[in-house]
Amino acid sequence: MSVLCAFLLLACSVQKPTLTEASDARQVTDEAGRNVTVPAKIDRFISLAPNLTEIAYAVGAGDRLVGNTTFCDYPEEAKKVAKVGDTLQPSIERILALRPQLVLVSTASQLEVFTKQLDEHRIAVYVTDPRDLEGVFQSIENVGKLLNQESRAEETVSQLRQRANAISDAIKSRKPIKVFCQVSAQPLYTIGRDSFVTDLIRRAGGVSVTADVPEAWPKYSQESAVAARPEAIILPTNGSMGSANADVAEGLKRSPAALSGRVYRINGDFLLRPGPRAVDGVEALAHTLHPEAFNQ
Amino acid sequence: MTSNTEAALERGPTVRGLDEGRVTLRQTLIACGLLLVALLAAILITSLFGSERLPTRASICAIASFGRSRCGLTPDQYAILLEIRLPRIFLAAAVGASLAVAGASYQALLRNPLAEPYLLGVSNGAAVGTMIALVFFGAWEWSRPLMAFTGALAATFVVYRLAHGRAGASPERLILSGVIVTTFLSSAIVFVTTLMDATRIRSFTFWLLGDLSGATTRLLALAIVVAIVGTAVLAANARSLNLLMLGERDAFDLGVEVARVRLVVFFVASLLVGSSVASSGSVGYVGLVVPHLVRLSLGSDNRITVPAAALAGALFVVVADTVARTIIAPRELPVGAITALIGAPLFVYLLKRG
Repeated sequence: MSVLCAFLLLACSVQKPTLTEASDARQVTDEAGRNVTVPAKIDRFISLAPNLTEIAYAVGAGDRLVGNTTFCDYPEEAKKVAKVGDTLQPSIERILALRPQLVLVSTASQLEVFTKQLDEHRIAVYVTDPRDLEGVFQSIENVGKLLNQESRAEETVSQLRQRANAISDAIKSRKPIKVFCQVSAQPLYTIGRDSFVTDLIRRAGGVSVTADVPEAWPKYSQESAVAARPEAIILPTNGSMGSANADVAEGLKRSPAALSGRVYRINGDFLLRPGPRAVDGVEALAHTLHPEAFNQ
Repeated sequence: MTSNTEAALERGPTVRGLDEGRVTLRQTLIACGLLLVALLAAILITSLFGSERLPTRASICAIASFGRSRCGLTPDQYAILLEIRLPRIFLAAAVGASLAVAGASYQALLRNPLAEPYLLGVSNGAAVGTMIALVFFGAWEWSRPLMAFTGALAATFVVYRLAHGRAGASPERLILSGVIVTTFLSSAIVFVTTLMDATRIRSFTFWLLGDLSGATTRLLALAIVVAIVGTAVLAANARSLNLLMLGERDAFDLGVEVARVRLVVFFVASLLVGSSVASSGSVGYVGLVVPHLVRLSLGSDNRITVPAAALAGALFVVVADTVARTIIAPRELPVGAITALIGAPLFVYLLKRG
């Protein structure tokens, strides 16, 4: 018993070394509304989502990325970074061992509990929560600021914004096409009000028939999907998704969109990752939905 | 059965208890007839409810004409009613019947009121089989039911072997083995889903809670055929199951080919569970609650319990799935959550009353 007590005491005294409170630490509010204290200069950080890894490289901070997830496969260099697990089950031990000053987390990964754990170890956690393409741009600028790559981030965003604007100019006079976006076939999942994909579709000259459904990724009724009479069905697939979600759900096979062959497979890495390549997603969608707008 | 064994049946205290539960053919027909009418009525009524509102009169007309006439429904409405909603209701019925019959026969064969596909690990065995099929032979449609059946059968035999100690099988040992196999297989499921890619994990975990929306026409046909044939085979063995409820030794003495009946029940029940899990994931509590309700109201003669459980199970899941697909429409809940929400309190009530 006394041994146990001694061990516990030891454990307590060893844990949490007095952190040198950097006098030049910054107070920031992340996209989930949490107040975070971040060191002024960050030399080591970890990304827990593929979109955040892509953002980190886009703003030119990839060389300071010391850990990411097994899902982080873009750009090519990201594959060589130490893996701390996948987006859903990262290893806290690996993360601590890598001694990051900052961990980037995306709300999409549902890591609330995990975030608290990192907080307890006094590792700054910055949560991003983009709900539309503008939110993605915001995330890029925010991450750029955190990593002191502000001008690179602004430059990246302005280029992306130009491309997005070019698309909206091209499809300006086109009638929006009613689209159903199937995220998974069985069970049927789609994109809802809170999903940034809804905005990507809108910017590409489409309109999601499930744009008003609560949640970001609702489990959806096949009946309602058919009743909404989408003119086209979008399947985010390929890329890192492989052959997952490559086919239309059973109940939608007889829908007018499927019967007329208007089922479009778009690279899931473009459509489902709220990072720089979301604009590639908008471009791919726009070219698919309105090919005539780009045929000059 | 010889008159000798009939005479044997009339003696002894345990046998008298069984006798009270005995019913005539007429009673069986009446009870099953009523349940069948209730099921058909439920199918018709629930087909009028869904996330999309369809014109009632035209819908009834279209169903009554067996889909030959559109009765003024638009092509979309017609497709919703006859290609999405009705197949799903039929699948719910097939799955409910399969699970309830499997539960009823496990309970009789193993003489254990708690024996149920889910608690015995049989559903999880089928789920692991389905998952292996998805990961390795995703393209081949029949791999799912085949692997689910194999998984269910393997889990059944493992649980049965584990339950048989040197002193024979006790009800407690059986449930314990079931729990062990269930938790082991749950971990196996977690393990494999972790290895699968992100998008599939998400849908697979939800699919595991029961999802009746996605079956292909072939899987639906398979589920219906298996449900009907399985119920018929088990009903044909109901007399032996009755005697087995006295204990395997007594049943053997009374002329039951215990080994053969056990094999038939394990095989057919695994087939029933396998086909329902392959088409719709694991729907819990059906195999537990429905047979108990049936026994409470109709007595414990398996010649009536088995067919009545099939019909009542079908009714239960048809209603539960209607709730699942309408209550937060156009979004949906997993049907397994609804059956558990209804089933668990109902079972507690039955336990208290019993």
